[in-house]
Amino acid sequence: MRDIYLSDFVVLSSQGDLKETVKSIRTLSSRVSTFDIKTDVQQLTVPYFLLEDEILAEEKSILNTLENSVFNKVSKIKKHFGSEALSKTVLIIGTTMIDIHLTDLIKKHMNGDDTYTKKLVKHSIDSYADFLANKYGLNELTMTINTACTSTANAILEGDNLIKSGVAECVIVLGIELNSSLMSSGFSAMNLLSMTTQKPFAEERDGLVLGEGVASLLLSTQKSKHLLRGGYSNCDAESITGVSEGGEEFVRVMTNAMSNARVQQDEIDSIKVHATSTPASDLSEINSLKMFKKKPRLSVIKPYIGHTVGVSGVLELSIFLTCLEQGFLPKFPSQSEHAKSKSGINLLNYFGFGGNNVSLLVESDLT
Amino acid sequence: MKLYIHGFSSYRSDFEEIDIKKELKTRYAYDIRRQDSFIHLAVLGAKRLMDNIEIRTDDELYVTSGIGNADLLVDIYQYAIKDGYHIKPFDFINMLGNTTSYYISQALQTKSKAIFQISNKFTYIHSLISAYSSIYQSQKRAVICCCDLISNKSHFLRNQLAVDEKIPLLSSVNYQLVSLDQEEALAEIEFENKSYLKDEILTIIKKTDLTVIASPRCDDLPVKKETVFFETIASNLVNDFIQKGLGLMFIDNYEEKYKIITLRC
Repeated sequence: MRDIYLSDFVVLSSQGDLKETVKSIRTLSSRVSTFDIKTDVQQLTVPYFLLEDEILAEEKSILNTLENSVFNKVSKIKKHFGSEALSKTVLIIGTTMIDIHLTDLIKKHMNGDDTYTKKLVKHSIDSYADFLANKYGLNELTMTINTACTSTANAILEGDNLIKSGVAECVIVLGIELNSSLMSSGFSAMNLLSMTTQKPFAEERDGLVLGEGVASLLLSTQKSKHLLRGGYSNCDAESITGVSEGGEEFVRVMTNAMSNARVQQDEIDSIKVHATSTPASDLSEINSLKMFKKKPRLSVIKPYIGHTVGVSGVLELSIFLTCLEQGFLPKFPSQSEHAKSKSGINLLNYFGFGGNNVSLLVESDLT
Repeated sequence: MKLYIHGFSSYRSDFEEIDIKKELKTRYAYDIRRQDSFIHLAVLGAKRLMDNIEIRTDDELYVTSGIGNADLLVDIYQYAIKDGYHIKPFDFINMLGNTTSYYISQALQTKSKAIFQISNKFTYIHSLISAYSSIYQSQKRAVICCCDLISNKSHFLRNQLAVDEKIPLLSSVNYQLVSLDQEEALAEIEFENKSYLKDEILTIIKKTDLTVIASPRCDDLPVKKETVFFETIASNLVNDFIQKGLGLMFIDNYEEKYKIITLRC
């Protein structure tokens, strides 16, 4: 079985690019904006980790970041594997965003604008992946995965499968999550948003803070510092939004991930927890972590960039592993300082709506 | 790549005039609350699959669609964007693709992987490839669900599907239970991560002894074509031909590219 490595992390978060984001975490200087949500009875101003104004003002800069990140990976693939490997490179997007072509069509139809009827052009939520694959000569197999907060984490596992089964040589995973009034209103309607800050695993935790972000990475057999040992994805929640208090489903996903990756509990150095800071989900995760007899060190990313929902799989992984490379393990807000990182095996957890849970195991060589 | 089909189920709106909600409630005692038409359609197919074959808790699930839950988006657009009301919690939840896969998992009583994915082109074939890659690793079985809903409120979506007005759009849900194990399989389905140009596909058609049927998108091919459309129509034809015990070569098209599915019973 071939070893699959993770590399070429590209990040654009509320704190800037990957370098700026890691610096803001190290120096505890993350900036957070606010966003107004109109409900049927009131207007709420909630904290929100929005991309910087100058990025948003430049309409195309987000897409440019995405395209450049694909272009850079394409250049690397050509260099290491030869041009012919491009046609065996698959692009997978993970997001919870709604298909923009579809919403545009609905908007035009509902507003009586019939100009749309004159043009028959096939579109779907995967149109952007198809466009990028076509532009850079990648394999025509593209897909867009929507499994809520686990979308890009699942994309990583699907990419791993495609390479190991011989369908693909390399896989580019790309995630995007931008603010939409429907998304923020939806989280608000479910009473999941904090009005202040995220307090992961703290008794006084009262909800999550949303964040925007885009991120991408490359999966290939080209050796890097980070070996994807394996992982597991399941869907076994008690209800569409609920999780068990004891965290049994999280125990199952972590146990199966370790089994697939042939990793023993006591080999795990650190866990990047999901930690949304919502009362129920955090309680479930806290209880699930009791399964570890030798307690791994815990680390958290969301307090620094927000909950970036569908892109959190790639975004948090990229940031977490880069922090490790720079010598530290991002701390909880309640802790006084970041711990020192070391080479070893890290478990990364992602738990989402609809019972989709993913655990990834990454072995990092920081020497 | 080859997968072996061990069970299947189908529903097509032009073949059956049923009230899906009523069918779910009366025949399957299924609680339809907090769900919408797209989820109901998907769950109906799941229940029918369970009528035909036993599903294991560790069977993996891949769900695909041409557009997804568009009817719900039309409703939400009307009340939340045009009329300015706050989005309802369950509409927000149902808006997420994996909500459908969650309800399917619940209906099938599976606890393994459940992925909702869409490919802009050849979405059924690409889901077969995903399922193949996954069970190649896990050595489990996979359930593939293809669900397309078109209603009066979403009829204008033919523009999104790029389908001519002369071709009627349908709703349909189709399932297959697949594995890498040939034993006791009903049929073998073969597919490639490769597309062909028109000249190449014409040569392939000439050589095959299987019945050839093409997607309505293949309007320039001199073969029998389906006269109705939904994005995952190939999945329905596969089931139809398994039912008849016949082999099939299905051809799908996107721009100048063609892909083939070969079914042998």
